[in-house]
Amino acid sequence: MPLIDTQHLFKIYRLGDVEVRALNDVSVSVEQGEFVAVMGPSGSGKSTFMNILGCLDKPTRGKYILDGIDVTATDLSKLAGVRNRKIGFVFQGFNLIKRTTALENVELPMIYNHTPSHLRREKALAALKAVGLEKRADHLPNQLSGGQQQRVAIARSLVCDAPIIFADEPTGNLDTKMSIEVMDLFTRLNKEMGKTIILITHEPDIAEYAGRLIKFKDGQKISDERK
Amino acid sequence: MFDAFYSMFRLSLKAIAANKMRAALTSLGIVIGVAAVITMLAVGSGTQKSMAERFSRFGTNILYLRQPWNLDESISSPKDVTMDDVRAIRKLSGVTSAAPYISSGFDVKYGYTSTSLSVLATDTDIFKTYDWELESGRQFTEKEVNDYGQVMVIGATAAQTIFNDMDPLGRTVVLDEIPFKVVGVMKKSGQGGMGFDMDEGALIPYTTGKVKMNAGWNNSDRRALDRVIIRVKDFNAIEDTKKDIQNTVRNTHRIHPLAKDDFQLDDFASFVEEAKSASKTMSLLLGVIGAVSLIVGGIGVMNIMLVSVTERTREIGIRMAIGATSADIRLQFLAEAVTLSCIGGLIGVIFGVGITLIVAANSSSIPAELSVWSILLSVGFSAATGVFFGYYPAYKASKLTPIDALRYE
Repeated sequence: MPLIDTQHLFKIYRLGDVEVRALNDVSVSVEQGEFVAVMGPSGSGKSTFMNILGCLDKPTRGKYILDGIDVTATDLSKLAGVRNRKIGFVFQGFNLIKRTTALENVELPMIYNHTPSHLRREKALAALKAVGLEKRADHLPNQLSGGQQQRVAIARSLVCDAPIIFADEPTGNLDTKMSIEVMDLFTRLNKEMGKTIILITHEPDIAEYAGRLIKFKDGQKISDERK
Repeated sequence: MFDAFYSMFRLSLKAIAANKMRAALTSLGIVIGVAAVITMLAVGSGTQKSMAERFSRFGTNILYLRQPWNLDESISSPKDVTMDDVRAIRKLSGVTSAAPYISSGFDVKYGYTSTSLSVLATDTDIFKTYDWELESGRQFTEKEVNDYGQVMVIGATAAQTIFNDMDPLGRTVVLDEIPFKVVGVMKKSGQGGMGFDMDEGALIPYTTGKVKMNAGWNNSDRRALDRVIIRVKDFNAIEDTKKDIQNTVRNTHRIHPLAKDDFQLDDFASFVEEAKSASKTMSLLLGVIGAVSLIVGGIGVMNIMLVSVTERTREIGIRMAIGATSADIRLQFLAEAVTLSCIGGLIGVIFGVGITLIVAANSSSIPAELSVWSILLSVGFSAATGVFFGYYPAYKASKLTPIDALRYE
């Protein structure tokens, strides 16, 4: 059974009389342990697709099964728990919480699944260690470089042992050197920890890191190639 | 459970600490409200207590007989309270003493100085009725009362004001053009505040006052008394004694058995009740002032929480993306509002207690008594304010959808 299985997803917006099909019949399956890059110009529907895969939004029509859970049949309010357990998010703008140390940022997802505080600290430190930032645990986001901030965000995505990491333009705000650092880290997480990684990007050389490339255009999947 | 609350509280403190100035200004309304409530309640209960103490020093077995201020219209020709009543009452077995009581303010002249005193015209029974003690000299005598003696017993504070450090005994003061010789000085009793304050006043024989002095008394009738002060022997039998007195006075006033009394007999309790109800009204008023400040403070909290929710929309989005439910978000902002208003409340308690202690230390005339009850009450109210005014912003935050919140710039 695939980890991610979408069947005929539609996302339709109405703008007055005009019907906009942000997603138009998209079916994608992703197996456990895959590293998938999603590319496409802006407006191609890749962000809408990612929001639905990330359980942040629901499709107008179609079916989405995530690790055996029928997301399309689950109430939007119950999806918070699904996101917490199954998905780690890494964003372009890092999205760390200001004035909160690296360690506390990493602990945050565990507050919402009520992990006891001593365990929280232990696991957060382990996650920081996995991204090579254990020495920066007490630093605030604004005391860290962009690459370091992104690695804190990656640690945060790891800490609940979610099988999937969604990375939305994770290198968009980073220079080449930091980008390579972060992409190497993703590769390592994929190879060594068996994390399934779905990566949105518009840079072909970043997409090169993935083992599979899905391209979007006008709300439809136009190509799906495995290396 | 405790763990979750603790992390929530820490989170709130951190968010508040991020905007210290704003938090301080926001909670100022609550600080002022709580400080005001605590100070006012302390002064209120202190006043009540000191009033009760003062009353109890008068003794609970004192009765006051007088003509009612608001006479029933059905009473056609009310009779004044006179010495006839006093003499009849004195014969009753349950009565220790009964003294006539006519009081008014006078300018008392000594040499070139003139001092305004409250003067009580009475007879020797007053010394048996009230527990006043002599500092020096003597009381005036029954003979002096009968002979229209021009003698005076003066209160401690009044003596100090008129004579400074000179010995007042034997000196002559002029009251309404009649000279009076000071024969006694009373000890300071500190029981003023109810009708006549001995410390600030002077006693003269009622005979002299009524007959020799022309002006100054409230009632023109030379026989009429303001009241009669009666001391009963046994407090436990006070109701029976009151009945006896009532019958006696009805008799001297020749009131028809079916007619109503044309007089009024008050005891200590009715004064206390009056004072208590006045003090209750006062407390209620202060409570309203406190409530209004808390509401205003609460609106401030609500305002700032709405700003905070807007400012932190992105943060809310992040939290939702990584697993916070709507309830988690709502609880977080609610906790923040409650923490904010409780901090205001606690600072308010500190200010309120401080002000109360300063007032209590520096002013003997404003008694203040702090109560744990009032402190708990005001902190409880500020927490409730936080919950009430923090709910809407928290609800608004919880209704955001994660994608909209994450997209917010």
